[in-house]
Amino acid sequence: MSHLFEFNGAEGQGYSQPAPVLPESSIALPESLARKALPRWPRLSEPEMVRHYTWLSKRNFGIDTGFYPLGSCTMKHNPRVNEVIAQIPGIADIHPHQPEHQIQGLLAIFYEMQYMLEICSGMDQVTLQPVAGAQGEFTAVRCIQEYFRLRGDTQRTKVIVPDSAHGTNPASAAMCGFEIVEIPSKADGRIDLEALRAVADETTAVMMITNPNTLGLFEPDIVEASAIVHGVGGQMYYDGANFNAILGITSPGLMGFDAVHFNLHKTFSQPHGGGGPGSGPIGVKSHLADFLPGPLVEQRAPVGEESNTAIDNMWYGWYQPTHTIGKVQQWHGNAGAIIRCWAYYRRYGRGLKTMSEHAVLNANYLRHAIHKATKAAGVDSMVRDGADAVVAKHEFTLSLAPALEMHGISAMDVAKGLLDKGYMAPTVYFPLVVPECMMVEPTETESKETLDDFATHFAEVLQVDAETLHAAPITTPVRRVDEVYAARNLCLRHPYDDE
Amino acid sequence: MVDQLPNLGREAEMLSAMGMSSIEDLFADIPAEVRMTEELSLPPPQSEEEIIADARRLLGANVALGERVSFLGAGLYRNYVPASVFQLVTRGEFLTAYTPYQPEVSQGMLQAMWEFQTLISELVGLPVANLSLYDGSTAAAEALTCCVRVHNRKATQKDTVYVSELTPPDRLSVMYNYCQGAEINIKLLRHHPDGTLDLAGVAEAAGSCGVYVEQPNPLGILDGGLSQLKEIIGEHTALIVAVQPVSLGLIEAPGHYGADIVVGEGQPLGSPITGGGPIYGIFACSKAYLRLMPGRIVGRSIDVDEKVAYCLTLSTREQHIRRHRATSNICTNETLIALMGAMHMSLLGPEGLHTLAVRNMTACILAKQKLSEISSITLPHDKSHHFNEFVIELPGSGKDCLAYLETLGIIGGFDLSAWYPERTNWILATFTDQTNANQIELLVTHLAVWASSQGVDA
Repeated sequence: MSHLFEFNGAEGQGYSQPAPVLPESSIALPESLARKALPRWPRLSEPEMVRHYTWLSKRNFGIDTGFYPLGSCTMKHNPRVNEVIAQIPGIADIHPHQPEHQIQGLLAIFYEMQYMLEICSGMDQVTLQPVAGAQGEFTAVRCIQEYFRLRGDTQRTKVIVPDSAHGTNPASAAMCGFEIVEIPSKADGRIDLEALRAVADETTAVMMITNPNTLGLFEPDIVEASAIVHGVGGQMYYDGANFNAILGITSPGLMGFDAVHFNLHKTFSQPHGGGGPGSGPIGVKSHLADFLPGPLVEQRAPVGEESNTAIDNMWYGWYQPTHTIGKVQQWHGNAGAIIRCWAYYRRYGRGLKTMSEHAVLNANYLRHAIHKATKAAGVDSMVRDGADAVVAKHEFTLSLAPALEMHGISAMDVAKGLLDKGYMAPTVYFPLVVPECMMVEPTETESKETLDDFATHFAEVLQVDAETLHAAPITTPVRRVDEVYAARNLCLRHPYDDE
Repeated sequence: MVDQLPNLGREAEMLSAMGMSSIEDLFADIPAEVRMTEELSLPPPQSEEEIIADARRLLGANVALGERVSFLGAGLYRNYVPASVFQLVTRGEFLTAYTPYQPEVSQGMLQAMWEFQTLISELVGLPVANLSLYDGSTAAAEALTCCVRVHNRKATQKDTVYVSELTPPDRLSVMYNYCQGAEINIKLLRHHPDGTLDLAGVAEAAGSCGVYVEQPNPLGILDGGLSQLKEIIGEHTALIVAVQPVSLGLIEAPGHYGADIVVGEGQPLGSPITGGGPIYGIFACSKAYLRLMPGRIVGRSIDVDEKVAYCLTLSTREQHIRRHRATSNICTNETLIALMGAMHMSLLGPEGLHTLAVRNMTACILAKQKLSEISSITLPHDKSHHFNEFVIELPGSGKDCLAYLETLGIIGGFDLSAWYPERTNWILATFTDQTNANQIELLVTHLAVWASSQGVDA
């Protein structure tokens, strides 16, 4: 069977269920409500269904399959105990509308996560509600927007982003209704303070920036950048996509930021699931706390009957910030992801710094190993650093521009060659400021041997002739996929025979 | 932490290969003025065994719905998810993959999502479905901004959408947040006292960008009048219908009565409630909305050998390409939960979905029959059809009633004063495939006892 819709067992057979509490004839739907024809879904028995999805899984590459150095995505190992914990009925079988006294354990974990993120980020208040990094960005910019509105500061219509920013930054700010001002980075990939000064004025609402930046470089002028933006009355927003590089070493609070989002699924590991779920809490300084989406969790001594269900003699309750922007997700965020990330953070506790140190150690070691391996193989002239730096942080960029000029080998060709070596390819063509960019993030959960092997294989790929590389990959379930064909011959669902 | 860091204890060896002597050398670029000077004030690291023990203690202190007899729904439903779904979704190749940017090694998830798109498309009766938004509320909110992008140019009521007043307040709040940036004006549509939409009032929505309604609505009511909406509002105003997906085993698919966009909380298909997330939002639409819709889409294509192959397509709508002109900022979505939905749907098949819907609706009908026999309570929307939940009007406070039922091990439903402060005596009781006749009997008996005691006190 090549796809699900080829399974077509006998009608009415298949998945067995208990009898309804009343016969179906007790349902008397009028013509205007009754469905005329059931969906043309396939009919599979359980053995067929299990084999189909197992077959599909074998045609997919995850961290469990092999090294996944996808820059910006932080593809670290996901501890399996977190999956076991997320299936405990005390989270899996919990409804967000249950009263507080029935979910004290969940609220205690939420409170601990709010507190932990506040400590790590140097922010005053965290909300766990946003369910992805992009939604965190949107939420924080919304809070800042309302903060300015309440102050009557309505001329602030602009959001500044560097040209190396993640696409979500301008998209999120635009969704809030702001005009986007993009500033160019300096030749070394870092923020250009002069360019920032030139655009920062009394119409500036927010500057959004990630640090380390998308080139994996720490912005040494970040305090000055904050001062420039604050000087014109604007707010500083920290994109926490790269937070895993600096935990326990520095914090957005120390750098002068007013608001930050966390990609919990990256920094604290929630399996990325082929594109989600994630979790994107935000933290803010006290002047923005009243605007956060609620409810938030607070802790206090129990009163009266509350003692019966209190956790370690503490009561946990919901509260609404005074000027809350309202909700960004209908419930309480991705509670299941938050629980997994809680379990992950507990593994490190106050030692989270060690996690970041190893993320940075591995990235720099791999960068060094790649340069060493390409030199040994005599192909070092084909690749150069995406940006000059003595040290990178948790990720680094390479430029394959020389390979393209010399041999017609693009970053994409190298990426496809790496697939044939059994690796997931690094991120390609991002950030846009580096020509033929390859962005590499090994994470802290890879061994030295894996990094050495990857460097060797990377150099081997560069030794392959252009023609062979253009034809790569050849060992994968399918070969190079025609994305133009997909866009020109749109086939977005199974074409049934009569279509 | 040792078990997660393969290079712990090998730092010196790795540093020396780079000509460095200390971890500190790696952070020399971070200025002293922003350095943390003290250790994080957090507890010490724990082992796996300690973490799972703490998790069991804390989460064990929660009341799981399955430990009680529960009638709580109101948007999220405790349906049975087959065991094979959980077994398969934890396969590492699915679980630990990222967004399928390299299609050659991501065919499994890409094909599974293309199949998901087809399953949803068939379920709701529309040709296009994306591979999930965050939840039902964000899907509904993105549908509003999408219909303005599509229709605003020709609309006589520019930047205006009409939304059913019977939209859960928390969902409405998400809509306001998503719509304010584009300065979209949200007007509310009125309902009759029996909970059905006032169709005469809908006429004023013609010429706006879109009309949003829910079927069933948040009071559990199925409204046959919705099938006339498209005719009333016309071609240039989008009809957006939010659905409870399981109901579509019995109830007409909105695409078959003119809906342009269908959204919904996918959760009842494939996912436990999990405290309200991660779940997945359904978003489907007709072809006219395709190029301005939010979210990722998989297309079927070919590889260089002309073998069938799948890849992400129409990405030029998305933030990583279009940046501030993107149709949405969404990047990470809920793919893995959508995969659970696809697995559940493929196991159910058409007849299985129908049976599942019948089990929900008959449980609801039985409860309605039994409760309508209690003279001291009323069912304010008794004359309407309900899918799997309905409002019970009590002779006293809903809060007190639920507290009483809780002492008997029953989670009696949702206190509607949380949505409508004046409705202090309304609860919403939900009956699903997990509700059996004995449980309904238990609820009816104890509600009768409580209600009659209210009568005595009064």
